[in-house]
Amino acid sequence: MSTNHRTVHDIETDVAVIGGGTAGLNSAIAAAEAGCRVLIVDKANIVHSGSIAGGIDHFMAFLDTGAQWDTREGYLAYVAEVAKGAADLEVHDAVFCDELPAALKRIERIGVSLRQPDGKIFRTSSMGQPGPYWINFDGKKLKPKMAMEVKRRKCTILNRVQVTNLYLHDGELAGFTGFNIRTGEFYRIRAKAVVIATGNTNRMYNAQTGNPFNLWYCPANTGDLHRAAFDVGVALANVEYVRMTIVPKGFSAPGFNAFFGMGAQLVNALGEPFMKAYHSMGAKAPRNAMVWGALQELKEGRGPIYMDCRHLAQKDLEHLFFTLGIDKDTLPEFFAAKGYAKDGAMIEMTVSEPMQARPSELCGSGIRIDRRCASNVPGIYAAGDASDQMGCLHMGFAGGFAAGRHAAAYASKTKTPRPLDAGAMDEEQARVFAPLERSKGVSYREFENTVRVISTDHFGPVKSEISLKGALAKFDRLDASRQELKADNLHELMRTHEAMNIHQVAKISATAALARKETRFQPFHYRADYPDTDEENYCGLMVIQKQANGEISTRLDKLRYAI
Amino acid sequence: MPAVIDASKCNGCELCDLYCPVDVIYMENDIAVVRYPEECWHCGACRQECARGAVSMQFSMAMLSI
Repeated sequence: MSTNHRTVHDIETDVAVIGGGTAGLNSAIAAAEAGCRVLIVDKANIVHSGSIAGGIDHFMAFLDTGAQWDTREGYLAYVAEVAKGAADLEVHDAVFCDELPAALKRIERIGVSLRQPDGKIFRTSSMGQPGPYWINFDGKKLKPKMAMEVKRRKCTILNRVQVTNLYLHDGELAGFTGFNIRTGEFYRIRAKAVVIATGNTNRMYNAQTGNPFNLWYCPANTGDLHRAAFDVGVALANVEYVRMTIVPKGFSAPGFNAFFGMGAQLVNALGEPFMKAYHSMGAKAPRNAMVWGALQELKEGRGPIYMDCRHLAQKDLEHLFFTLGIDKDTLPEFFAAKGYAKDGAMIEMTVSEPMQARPSELCGSGIRIDRRCASNVPGIYAAGDASDQMGCLHMGFAGGFAAGRHAAAYASKTKTPRPLDAGAMDEEQARVFAPLERSKGVSYREFENTVRVISTDHFGPVKSEISLKGALAKFDRLDASRQELKADNLHELMRTHEAMNIHQVAKISATAALARKETRFQPFHYRADYPDTDEENYCGLMVIQKQANGEISTRLDKLRYAI
Repeated sequence: MPAVIDASKCNGCELCDLYCPVDVIYMENDIAVVRYPEECWHCGACRQECARGAVSMQFSMAMLSI
């Protein structure tokens, strides 16, 4: 498989969207509406790719129904309270609040109703909300419908292409490279602007069953563009956080919000609801508090823990099990296979694998964006979970559109895309396919598993200066193995690059965590050596960036929450 | 085993292969095969797209037993 014989494609576009999930497809719709040529590049197929590939059942929104909590101001006060130190309210206001009314219309226009079959909007509350912000809906077909919408708008779609690196020219975006994971065709793409919407980084920590693909979030999201953006000098923020949730024992599936939104309780092995001991809102507490409570119960020997649904009314139970299957298509079957009945079973739960992601539903973790969704590098924009300020369906959907619109405005000011350096292209092509050329070496499985063990042992989730420095020393020692990684086919080549990206993001995350000498959103950033929250010195974003000389710097961008 | 495809029901339409978000399903002799079962996310996209009802889910011993 000599790299010399590969088919190479040169493509030029106005706006390229990397990652065709919720945020990316909304970016594409906006850029197409603005009259741009739009190219969407996805590692899978946009009909079913990203975190909602199999379905989604909640959309957070304020609806101005009269109550104070249901206004923009009430909502922002909620954001300030539960995402303090991670959510930039000015950005949040611009990328979510300003965009929300249009987003609510758009989701219904593309053919997905936010209403129940009886025509009413059904709202639930959890996660520290002052009122029921969650719209519970049937989003099983949301992803395929969004894919139809971008096709209708004549966006060009490159499915099954893994992006490998970004390139600048005179400090501005020039383009990027990638390869088709089934054919091995190599792509050199020039774009006037790019929106990065590739989600968070998974497969970085050990999973409960030992299978790194049995995860709450999409295991195809491996920080590919976090790493590539970081390498060209894009600043990242909120990447020190480790995110976890409460999942069924044996199956890391979503469902937290459905369970607690419908009134289920977490109980310990003594049959006692325990969350009130950890947070005044009990089972309606923010996610990090729920995870903290569960971890303490398990640690102190009061496990297993269970989701107690026995007190729920029959019609609520039926709705709960229905909506669980919307959010995770296969979860009801799993419950049946485990022998759980739908009549109010006690379902054994546990704490999920950690992941590199946002500490709250109300911010993101990744590329530092401003009110225009722009990074610090001209031409590079970000949206959804890949950005430091957007997360979850509601922000990906609303803010993704904003990112596409701003990227289109930037592209419209550029006459032609900037050039890609021919030497750099040849070098990248050789680098990308090198693992296929090796007749012997290390497999991505062994390499990635080693990264996972280090991450889990050293900061999964509890960390200290000694544990983080130890992790970084071990990660650095793995650098030599990167040159020995061997792939036997293109699927393995994709996984090999994913594994290398997970390795690099783990280093970035540990480095940022080292700089935040406090605890925030415990256990999502729990420093055993600094167990208290330090509002005076650390209420803000830990920004990490690779400088032009290759050195990695961190700084704290302080945030204010006067509303 | 995660997604399992009944070869006798598969009509070779390729939709499960096309839409699997984690690239675990491949066509072999015009029949869809789960080539990387250990990498299945259990998202159900393959099953949602299968018009023949050829896809079922089987959960591993670890998932059902721990």
